[in-house]
Amino acid sequence: MKIFKKCLLAGMTALALMGAAQVASAQETDQVGRAPYLESLKGKKVIFVPISQGMDLNQAWVMVWQRHAARYGFTLEVRDPNGDTNAGIRAMQGAIAEKPDLIIVQNPDVQTYARLLKQAQAAGIKVLQVNMQSATQTDSYVGNDWIEMGRLEMGELAKHCTGPNAVSHKVVWLAGVQTGAANIYMRTGIDEVLKANPELQLVSDQPADYISEKARQITETVLQQHPDLCGIMGIWDNAEVGAGAAVAAAGKQDQVTIVTNGAGAATGCESIKNGLLDVIFNFNAPIQGEIAAQQISELLQHPDRQAGSEKTIFFGPITRVDKTNATGRNCWKPEDIK
Amino acid sequence: MPGSGKSDGRRLGFKASQEVVVVAISVMLFVVFSATLNNFLSRGNVIAILKNVSILGTLAVGMGFVVVGRGIDLTMVAVMVVGVAFSIWISTWGIDFTLAVICGAILVAVIGLFTGVMVAVAEVPPIFATLAIASSVYGSGRIVFASDVLYAPPDIAWLKFVGNGSVLGIPMSVVIFGAVAALMGLFLRKTRFGRLVYATGDNPNAARTTGLPTRPIIVTQYVISALIAFTAGIIMTGLVTGIDTRLYNSSLIYDVLLVVVLGGIGLSGGQGGVRNVIAGTILVGILTNGMTILNFSYTSQNLIKSVILLGALAIDAIINPRDEQTSQSGDI
Repeated sequence: MKIFKKCLLAGMTALALMGAAQVASAQETDQVGRAPYLESLKGKKVIFVPISQGMDLNQAWVMVWQRHAARYGFTLEVRDPNGDTNAGIRAMQGAIAEKPDLIIVQNPDVQTYARLLKQAQAAGIKVLQVNMQSATQTDSYVGNDWIEMGRLEMGELAKHCTGPNAVSHKVVWLAGVQTGAANIYMRTGIDEVLKANPELQLVSDQPADYISEKARQITETVLQQHPDLCGIMGIWDNAEVGAGAAVAAAGKQDQVTIVTNGAGAATGCESIKNGLLDVIFNFNAPIQGEIAAQQISELLQHPDRQAGSEKTIFFGPITRVDKTNATGRNCWKPEDIK
Repeated sequence: MPGSGKSDGRRLGFKASQEVVVVAISVMLFVVFSATLNNFLSRGNVIAILKNVSILGTLAVGMGFVVVGRGIDLTMVAVMVVGVAFSIWISTWGIDFTLAVICGAILVAVIGLFTGVMVAVAEVPPIFATLAIASSVYGSGRIVFASDVLYAPPDIAWLKFVGNGSVLGIPMSVVIFGAVAALMGLFLRKTRFGRLVYATGDNPNAARTTGLPTRPIIVTQYVISALIAFTAGIIMTGLVTGIDTRLYNSSLIYDVLLVVVLGGIGLSGGQGGVRNVIAGTILVGILTNGMTILNFSYTSQNLIKSVILLGALAIDAIINPRDEQTSQSGDI
């Protein structure tokens, strides 16, 4: 009988425990912190003012952000000025007047939006800058470490164009737009490498304006002047294919190393395979977009924090891509991201 | 062509002076650069100069043709980038690239036809009609094509030849520019239609009153200039393996216009010819090449370029002062 009682007791205890456990699990089916997260993102308004949505990097970002917005119920509006600075200023003014929860901005240069960004912050709108910074620092910046990018690219040329086996020490810097953040900061990195390698000779420093035909023309002219040119570095793979075409037309593909950077789109990998480019420092725009998406979440989750009160910076990954690794995630296509 | 022969001759005589000024400046620059810059005078560099202006020059031939008829075609760059981008875009559906290029040519011809009808029949002033159409053409392209930069399929033999091939040591891009310029020159000088273009440009009302088919002439001009723009786009695609539609946002269309006006084709129409276009193109080519070699900064390049171009126009204004006899209605 005693044994029976003990068994009954044990059984009841077990049942009670199971019941308790069940109650506990029912309470915990909601992931910790999820509800307030959803609450904080839902119905929020985000406006993105890009330089132009026609660029591969912009398409990757917006695809990632739109997926994020659709999943968590905030709106993302893209106000594309299509490369026109005046239209960009109007888009920024319009965005500030609408008082969204967050403005994402890709600056055409360091000055144009500098005052507008201050105004936005003063109006209590948080500002996330992507890849191209303004002179005004805001809540967050996600994008390239451009000084490092300049150092990497010129460093790559230094490897090829110094030492006893180099064809010459002559290198070229095909800039983009000279007032752009990428240009200004890359130049700092370049100068560091040039200082460390005094034998390197920068024979030409001309902006190709991100246009391939202009890059081709400059390269063609410089090659006439310096037939023993060793290396060319640029700022966007889609523009430097022009430099590659000029080098190929001169039959100097084995002599001239062409280094640039890019969003990591498959078109860049094709250019490497075609022999138009040698090395792309790939900043993987989809991953950059994901980092920015986390920043969107972060900034929307803390409406209590005053705009501009905390300033953070996130540099994205940079992968060196050449013939050996121009595959897989280093060569994304827009349809891969969807 | 009643009236056109005599007055045309007089105007050509007058305008040749501006051409002479431009040629003189070109020669001066050429001599200075040859003396001061290493390798400037090399065969390779001279070819590079021509190759680098082949696209600008080709576009300017088309623009010159329209300006001679007292029109202006600001759609050229939009038509060039959108026409070629359209060809590349439809070739990604699996259509043979050559066929796609033919489709692109048909598209730009239709756009040219529409522009021509707007100017000739609806009588919208060409500067406004083409400005608006350029914007619509580019805008439509921007909606249809996801990316600004479109790459042509690799391994198209003839396209590679356009980019890298040469005939007797002269690059194909220069050969095509030369061919377009020569054809246009012959067309304007030697054909009846060409003379009608001068007559229409010189005085459209008089031309119409005397019974010339001015409307069909104007429409044809815009169709031809669109096709020439498309040709320039094909040269560019051959040279750099793709087309960048953002060129529409660049100053290219103004550079084209500048070359035309600088060479001595007055915007008032009825004067000048292909020779003027070539003179203007070569001046811009020599200037850009020399400054690139000298590694001038972008800002100083623009400054020097504008000063020299302004100088050319000023010298012309002093040598050939405009008065009531030489100026025309519609002179800008």
